[in-house]
Amino acid sequence: MAARIPSRRRIHQGIASSCFAVLVAVASAPEASTPAASVTAAETAAATWEAGPPESSLQFEGAAQGEQFEGGFERFEVRIAFDPAAPEAATFDVRIEAGSVDSDNVERDEALRSPDFFDAGAHPLAHWRASGARSEGDGYVADGQLTLNGITQDVQLAFRWTADKGRALLEGEATLDRTAFEIGAGEWADADMIDHAVQVHTRLVLVPVSGTP
Amino acid sequence: MSWRDSEDAWGWISIALHWAIVLLVLMGALLGLVMTEMSLSADKVRVYALHKSIGMTVLALMLLRVAWRLASRRPRALPAPRWQNAVAATTHWMLYAAALALPLSGWLYNSASNFPLQWFGLFNLPAIADRDAGLKDLARDLHYLLFWCLVVLVVMHAGAALWHHLVRRDRTLSRMLPWLKPAAPASIEARQGDN
Repeated sequence: MAARIPSRRRIHQGIASSCFAVLVAVASAPEASTPAASVTAAETAAATWEAGPPESSLQFEGAAQGEQFEGGFERFEVRIAFDPAAPEAATFDVRIEAGSVDSDNVERDEALRSPDFFDAGAHPLAHWRASGARSEGDGYVADGQLTLNGITQDVQLAFRWTADKGRALLEGEATLDRTAFEIGAGEWADADMIDHAVQVHTRLVLVPVSGTP
Repeated sequence: MSWRDSEDAWGWISIALHWAIVLLVLMGALLGLVMTEMSLSADKVRVYALHKSIGMTVLALMLLRVAWRLASRRPRALPAPRWQNAVAATTHWMLYAAALALPLSGWLYNSASNFPLQWFGLFNLPAIADRDAGLKDLARDLHYLLFWCLVVLVVMHAGAALWHHLVRRDRTLSRMLPWLKPAAPASIEARQGDN
């Protein structure tokens, strides 16, 4: 069959639906609809941020009986106020549900929740707080305090901060001595059975707390 | 008697491997039966570690045993009806299989549970499987089942050995346990020849 030139009515319909399609595409473009993207650099810097699982992770590494093992916490909340231009004014607040520990080993996790270790029944929340951070190397350092198993000790977090398109990424490390918190004390104190040093790694995908300027 | 097996005698290598494995299996069994009843404590962790070290030693010795059995010869079977020799041979092969599969299933269970495996605190052995809840349950059931199979086989094997020694009064047991001597063998052996 020979090709036919569309009728005038068909052409008008075609133009109308194309315009409509373009309008829909523009309206639903992410840059146009997310308020955070239009936040200026100054506003981003002064913001309060929050983070939590699953986008963010809070993990630890230990060693037992000659082998490293890894674990993490499934439930925790992070609130940070941080301005890279004025790190000394920063505040950090991390609340961790001790019972949400997961080291990929059913028996070990039960032991970790038990009174001999985290004692999650009596101390369900672990808490790390810090006021102020300072530049160090290509990152920052915050001297904070960790309350774990009902005991509070100084724990320093070393971290890197990058902000991009209204979100911030914090990657940090800390080291602590489990015996300082009496995690596995008494008969469990033997370092050959369970190393004393525990490395903590965190990767926080931080979003501005809604309602802040 | 020498290190090597001969036509009518076990050598010291075979004898040493046999009894070393018997002792280790007994110790491993006792620890295994006790340790699952313990409540969480550092001692429980140590008992489990000891059980696992013993198990891996049994595995290593069993592999040596199989290699030795293939490289060496076994003494001639003592005069007996053919069915008895068949039952004996079957039981022995099943003992080899069970004594190899039991520590292997334990290794699998440990790996699928994501626990470390250290040999007497000296060095670590790799996992032979990834952490997997289904595999862990299967390996645990297999480990228990194989243990009870081994118990049945050992009872049959030891029972038969004692029967040979006390009733038949032949050299079956004393060949493997050289300090034993069967009583009054001469006239009994003459009667055995008529079967």
